[in-house]
Amino acid sequence: MATTRTATRSQGRWIPSTCGMCLHGCGIKVYVENGVALKIEGDPTNPDNLGKLCPKGNAGLARLYDSTRVLHPMKRTNPKKGLHEDPRWVRISWDEAYEIVARELGKVRRDDPRKLLCALGDFQRILFWGWPAVFGSPNFFTSLGNYCGGSYHPVNGCVDGSFAAINDYEYCNYWIQIGSGDGFSSHLHLSGSAKRMADARMRGMKVVSLDPRCSVASAKADEWIPIIPGTDRAFVLGMAHVLIHELGRYDRDFLRDHTNAPYLVKEDGDYVRDASGKVQVWDLKANAPHAWDEAPSGSMALEGTFSHQGIKLRTGFQVWKDILLENTPEKMAEVTTVPASTIRKIAKEFVDAAQIGATMEIEGKTYPYRPAALNYYRGSQSHGNGLFDNMTFKLFNMLVGNIDVPGGHLGVPLDHRGFFVSPGEDGMLKPEPHQLHPAPPFKYPPDSSHLMEWFPIGFDAGHLNAETLLNPERFGLDYRPEAMLIYHSNPWWNMPETDKIEEIFQQMKFVVAIEIQETESTQWADVFLPDQTFLESTLLNCLEPPAVTGHSLRQPVVKPLGDTRDPYDILTELSERLGFRDDWNDLLNVVCGFTAKPQYLLEPEKRHSVDEFWDRYARSIYGEEKGLEWFKEHGHAVRYRTPEETYLAYGSLRIPFYFEFIKRTGDEMRQKFAEVGLQDWPLDNYKPLPFWKNSQVIEDGKAGYEFYAITFKESLHTFADTMVMPWLTEVSEKDPIHGGILINSVTAGKLGFKTGDPIRLTSPGGSIEGPVQVVEGIHPQVFGVSNAITRDVVTNKQVKLRGTHFNRLLTGSMKYTDSATGGLESTARVRVERVKR
Amino acid sequence: MARLGMVIDLKRCIGCNACTLACKQENGTPEGISFSRVITEEVGTYPNSTRTFLPTLCNHCSDAPCAAVCPTGATYIRPDGIVMVDHNMCIGCRACNLACPYMNRHYIEHGLLEHGYNSEGISPMEAIKFADFDEGTNIKCTLCAHRVDQGLEPACVVTCPTDARIFGDWEEEDGKLQRLVKERKGWTLLPEYETKPNVYYLDA
Repeated sequence: MATTRTATRSQGRWIPSTCGMCLHGCGIKVYVENGVALKIEGDPTNPDNLGKLCPKGNAGLARLYDSTRVLHPMKRTNPKKGLHEDPRWVRISWDEAYEIVARELGKVRRDDPRKLLCALGDFQRILFWGWPAVFGSPNFFTSLGNYCGGSYHPVNGCVDGSFAAINDYEYCNYWIQIGSGDGFSSHLHLSGSAKRMADARMRGMKVVSLDPRCSVASAKADEWIPIIPGTDRAFVLGMAHVLIHELGRYDRDFLRDHTNAPYLVKEDGDYVRDASGKVQVWDLKANAPHAWDEAPSGSMALEGTFSHQGIKLRTGFQVWKDILLENTPEKMAEVTTVPASTIRKIAKEFVDAAQIGATMEIEGKTYPYRPAALNYYRGSQSHGNGLFDNMTFKLFNMLVGNIDVPGGHLGVPLDHRGFFVSPGEDGMLKPEPHQLHPAPPFKYPPDSSHLMEWFPIGFDAGHLNAETLLNPERFGLDYRPEAMLIYHSNPWWNMPETDKIEEIFQQMKFVVAIEIQETESTQWADVFLPDQTFLESTLLNCLEPPAVTGHSLRQPVVKPLGDTRDPYDILTELSERLGFRDDWNDLLNVVCGFTAKPQYLLEPEKRHSVDEFWDRYARSIYGEEKGLEWFKEHGHAVRYRTPEETYLAYGSLRIPFYFEFIKRTGDEMRQKFAEVGLQDWPLDNYKPLPFWKNSQVIEDGKAGYEFYAITFKESLHTFADTMVMPWLTEVSEKDPIHGGILINSVTAGKLGFKTGDPIRLTSPGGSIEGPVQVVEGIHPQVFGVSNAITRDVVTNKQVKLRGTHFNRLLTGSMKYTDSATGGLESTARVRVERVKR
Repeated sequence: MARLGMVIDLKRCIGCNACTLACKQENGTPEGISFSRVITEEVGTYPNSTRTFLPTLCNHCSDAPCAAVCPTGATYIRPDGIVMVDHNMCIGCRACNLACPYMNRHYIEHGLLEHGYNSEGISPMEAIKFADFDEGTNIKCTLCAHRVDQGLEPACVVTCPTDARIFGDWEEEDGKLQRLVKERKGWTLLPEYETKPNVYYLDA
C-alpha cells in the first residue's frame, strides 16, 4: 500500500492563529507535529474567512522555513553601501546589536530626533507605529499605504467615519467594480470576500467591471469595460450626468434628509449663514432661507438657484448639478474611450437596480433597500486628483441613497471600534479624515520630511521624501536626516523615483532594519535585527474586515527559529536603552485605549512582556475573562457585525454631499501659507465638489509619451514580500499575465513587437525594461506590469530574477500628487522602444 | 461501494490558485510537481476577450489508462475509486506518464528530493513530506486519500475561497455531485479518451 505521512494524519495538534501573509489577517489553524508546522488551513470557526484561505496564506510555511531568512542579529562590515554591494554581514549578539543601535540612534536623538527617518510597514502591529513619535521623529519614509489609501481613507472618514468601503455582498444585486480586486483578487480579507462575492454572483448579482486590463474581476464580470487609466471619474461623472440631467432619477429624500445637499451656498463656495451663524436652506413654502434645523423637511429645497437680498444662492446639490452639465456622456467618452452609449446604459441599469424608495426589514427594523452600488479601490483613485475620484464615486452612490444601507455601499471600519461617529458642525457627522494619528497642526518650516503638517486631510504622503530631502531648502526643512529605522517596510522598492530614494539611502550615516529577510532596503542596513514570522510571534489583529468585527490572535505555533525576537520586545528594548521606555508605555496606554480603563494601564517604569501586553489589550476590550489565555484556546473573538453596526451608523447626522469641510480646510491652508510667505504651494484640490480636469498624466501625453503604464495585483502576490517565495513564483511564472509587460495584440502588431522581445518603457520619472507579453485583455493604449515580476534583491536562489520595477516610472513630486490629500499618481505616461541586445 | 470524485464550478472559480498552494503544503510535492493546478487562458479578441480559469487535478478515472498500462500493478484503483500508486511497487517505467491524457502523472527524477524550495537543503517540513516519496518512482494526486480516510475533504476543497470545488460520492443517488451535473449540464475533460473521469466541470 501507498504510505503517506502528510499533515493531517497523525498525532500532532491544530493551533488557532492569524495569517500574516498580507496585512489583513484571516483566521487560520496550523497543524504542528513534533515541533514542525506542516499545514495551514483557514479557521472554519472564524466568520471572517469561514475556513477559506488565499494562495498567499496557503504558502505561509514556505516563509517560515525559507533558509534565507535572517535568524541572528547581524552587523555590516562592508562600509560601502549599494543595491548590489555585499554588506558582508557578521553575526553578533542581541546585546551588541542593541548597544550599537542605541549608541547611534542616541546620538541622533540628542542632536535632533527629527534626523531619524522611519519606515514602518507592519500593519498588523499598527499599535506600535507611534514609536518614532516617542523617539521624537515625525518622519514617515515609506509609501506603502499612500498608494491605495492616500485619498481613499480620508474621504471614507469624512463621509461616514469608515476607513475602507465595500458594497453589500449580502443584498447587492448590481455591482459596479472600478479599478478594484475586491471579492476577486485582493483587498479586505480576500478569502472571505471571494466567498461572499461568489455567493452573490451565484444568486444572480450582476457585476460590471471597469478596468484598463482584463483583471480577474473583469474576467468574471457580466461585462468588462476597458478604460483609459485615471479617467474612471470621468465615466462616473458621465453617469451622474445621465441620472440627473437625462433621466431625472435620484433619491431626493435621502439627499434632502441625510446629507447637506440642500444647504445653501454662496458663489464663493461658503455656506449661507444667518446672523446667529446657522446654515440656511431654502424653504419653498416661505420662499425664503431658513435655518437648516428649523425648516420643515417637506418644504426644504434640494435643488434650485435662488436670490436673497441680491445675492445668488444655490443648494449644494444644485452646484454639482450645474458642474455636471458639462459632463455629457459624449464628452466623457472622449476622455475615457468608453462609448457614450455604454455610459448611458450602465447608468440606466444602475438606477433601475437601485429601487429608489424601496425598504426592507431586518430584525424588526426598517431600512432603505438599495441593491445597487459602485465599489472602487486603488486603480481608480490612486491618482493625482484622487480626492475628486473618491468624492465622485461616493456622490454617485449617494445619488441613489445607498450609503450604509442594505444592498448599498458600506463603510468598513478600521477596527473593532467601528465607525467613528460623533456630531460635527451644522448638523453634520464630524469628518474623520485622519484615523491613524491625530491631524498635525500646520507648521512652517515643517518638522516632517514628508510634509505631514501641510496635509490636514491626507494620509501620510511618504513619497514626497524624494522631493523634500533632496531639496530641503525649498521646503524650509531646517535639518538633514542622518539615520533610518526600517521595520518591515521596503522603501527602496515601494517609493517612486528609485534613484532619488537611493541617494537618500546613501546620505544615511546609520541604518537599522527589523526584518525577516533581506530586501533591497536592508542592503543599506548597518545592523539587522531579525523579526519573527507570523507563525512564531504574538499579536491581536482586527484590521478592516468587511462583514465581521473582533480580534483574532496570532500566536507562536512553533518555537521561533534561530535567535529572532518579537518586534514588541525590540522596540521596547530600544526605548529602554534610549531612555524613553516610560514615554513608550504612555503612548501605548493612549493608542490601546488603556487610559480610559486604568486597571489595564502599563506602568511607565515597568518592562512588560509581549504576552503581558497583549493580555492587557485583550482584557481591556473583551473583559477580565478573555485574556491572552482565552484567545490562545479559542483563537478569536470574531463575530458578524449586527445590522445596527453595519447600517446607517451615522443615524440622524447628515453626511457630506457638499464637502464644505474640505473647502474650508483649503481656505485655512491658503491663509496659513500666506502668513508664512509661501505662495507657490499648490492648494488647487481643496474643492467642495468634484469635477473633471485633466491630470498631469494626461498632459504628459502632449510631450511625446504616447502610452499609459499601470501596475496590477492578483491573488498570488502582494506587491513585495511574496515575490521572493518560490512556492508562489513557481505558479505565477506559468500564467502569461505575469510573464512580462502586457501589450494589446493590435498595439504590439503596430509596433512590431512579439512576446519575449525586450522593451524599455520611459516615463517623465524614469524607465524600466522587461520582455513583451502580447495579450488581448488590455486597453490598446496601456502597458501592464504585474505585481509578480520579481524584485532586485532575492536571496532564495530558486526564484528567477526578472527585476522589472514599476515604481521607477512614477514621479514623487507635487505635480503628480493630489494637493489636498497627498495621494500619489500611480499611473505613468510612457513611450516605448525596443532594447537592442 | 463509493465512487469518490469532484465537481468544479467554473462560474465560482476565480483562478486564485489557493487549491494549487493548499495541495503544495498538504502533499509537500517537490519542485516543479503540482497535483493541483489552474490552467489560465485568454479567449476572444479585444475588447470582447476574457480569461478562463480551469482548475485541474487527477480525474480519478474509472477506466484509468495509467492503471491499465502499469506493468507491476503499482497503480491501482481503491474500492472507493481513488487512483493510487504504491511507490514500493513502482519501477519508474513512466508508461503511466504517457498513458495519462491529462498529464497528471509525475515522475520524481533522481536528485529531485535532495533539494526543496530553499537555496540550500530541505526544510524541516519538506524533510517530513519528502519521506513519502521515492526518487525514480511516479506520484500523483491521491484525492487526499489520507484525509478522506479520516473523514476529511481534500485540501484543495477545504481551502477554496469560492467553494468552487465540491467533493462527494457519485454513487450517492441524487447526491450533490449528480444533482449539480444534471442541473448545470456538467462535462468532463477530454471525453474522447473514454477514461470515465470522476471529476466534472460546470460552465462559467
